Amino acid sequence: MVRRRIVVTGLGAVSGLGADVKANFAAALAGEGAIRRRSFDPGPEGPEAYEMPAALVEGDLVAPLETALGRRIGASLDPFALFALASAQEALAQAGLIGHAALERRTALVLGHGFAGIHTLEASYLRYFGRKSARMHPLTVPKVMVSAPASAVAMSFGIRGPVFAVSSACASSGHAIAQGAGFIATGACDLAVVGGSEAIATPGCLKAWDGLQAMSPTACRPFSAGRDGMAIGEGGAVLVLEELEHARARGAAILAECAGVGLSSDAFHWTQPSLEGAVSAMTAALAAADLGPKARLLVSTHGTGTLLNDRNEAAALHAVLGDAVVDTPIIATKSAHGHLIGATAALQAVLALEALRSGKAPPILNHLGRDPECDLDLVLGEPRDIFAEAALVNAFAFGGLNASLAFRRWE
Amino acid sequence: MTALRDELLDLIADEALVDRAKLTPQATLTDVGLDSVGVVSVVFAVEERYGIEIAEDALRDVTDLEGFLASIEDVIATGKAA
Repeated sequence: MVRRRIVVTGLGAVSGLGADVKANFAAALAGEGAIRRRSFDPGPEGPEAYEMPAALVEGDLVAPLETALGRRIGASLDPFALFALASAQEALAQAGLIGHAALERRTALVLGHGFAGIHTLEASYLRYFGRKSARMHPLTVPKVMVSAPASAVAMSFGIRGPVFAVSSACASSGHAIAQGAGFIATGACDLAVVGGSEAIATPGCLKAWDGLQAMSPTACRPFSAGRDGMAIGEGGAVLVLEELEHARARGAAILAECAGVGLSSDAFHWTQPSLEGAVSAMTAALAAADLGPKARLLVSTHGTGTLLNDRNEAAALHAVLGDAVVDTPIIATKSAHGHLIGATAALQAVLALEALRSGKAPPILNHLGRDPECDLDLVLGEPRDIFAEAALVNAFAFGGLNASLAFRRWE
Repeated sequence: MTALRDELLDLIADEALVDRAKLTPQATLTDVGLDSVGVVSVVFAVEERYGIEIAEDALRDVTDLEGFLASIEDVIATGKAA
């Protein structure tokens, strides 16, 4: 059987860095990070307000989306569905697929989320348990359910193929991209709208993250000496994957090739990573993409800024890349947009593809100095001109679920 | 139009996902696309915004937007006075 090649024909993104791909990549290149100290107030029924660094989406997304879609959205969506819808709108518009008949058949839609409608759930529980109001809002369930963003996107654009959500914590949108690519590779679909979204910056949920002892009190400093944890971000990112001949037949602009995915499980620990799991995912992605030891790569690391992840990921990169590790540019964009949990793999894929296309890699922010246990060719200070033929994007989740994605630059 | 009524119309447009211009006082709830879920959604939004509780039977006999608005304004006025 002839291998079906998969290309990327649309990208969309929303995060604290900006409301579209262009704004996100420009801010990342300029080193304008979005992580700031924010106040989170549990309200009069809860304990005292507290502060934590986080990267939050600014500005109104509803009004521009209502204009683009030609219908009201109002208060009907939880932020995690709104972020997915805004990202999908941008990606489908770039791919020239808004209103296209191809969406009505043989198009998959798979979105990844680590959590679900946390804003809606927390507000309704506050009302029920805190204020002892006996009624729940009639749309609580459709707003909270983890498949709400997939349904919102499908209804908005008329996508009628396989549509569902996947979840693997911080690797969720990596698994979503892999799943969508699989639908195209097997011949079941010609198009796959894939990615993820997350919106968990509520007083209750961030307090739960704080309980993990993994949150930085200052900033996210991936691979740096003195790093002290992660910072939460929010937003969404979507890619349109398409079978190569299908894209060519309709004259779509091709942005990159989705060349290989590698999935693995550590089967080891809730919060500690394993070397074997990370090595296995990266090795499988590179092999599937036919990227050998001489390939010129850009690596978008999971790079959370926690002591354990970064040390483990650096060791895994040495194991996978061997001697080539010394001149493989390494980026860690969570230092700019924070950790988007279920959406992080998709957002990092979008930024890595923009880096491949432009030949410019965004710098890692908040760096304090070299950590000998993270001996990598880190892109620091300024954007760097790169000559990579492919990008490897890593997502390693709590619970040991790993996804690595390999994209080739399209000539 | 009072400031309160203006706020309520904004809120109904957002909850019922309808064009604000369609919200004329003479319109029936059906005309503006307010089904039973829409009515309860508006009631919840009003309760959240104004910190009041609206009894389930307060809106039982309401069929048009004018009656709906008047009933809500009545509860808000009573709630604030209490």
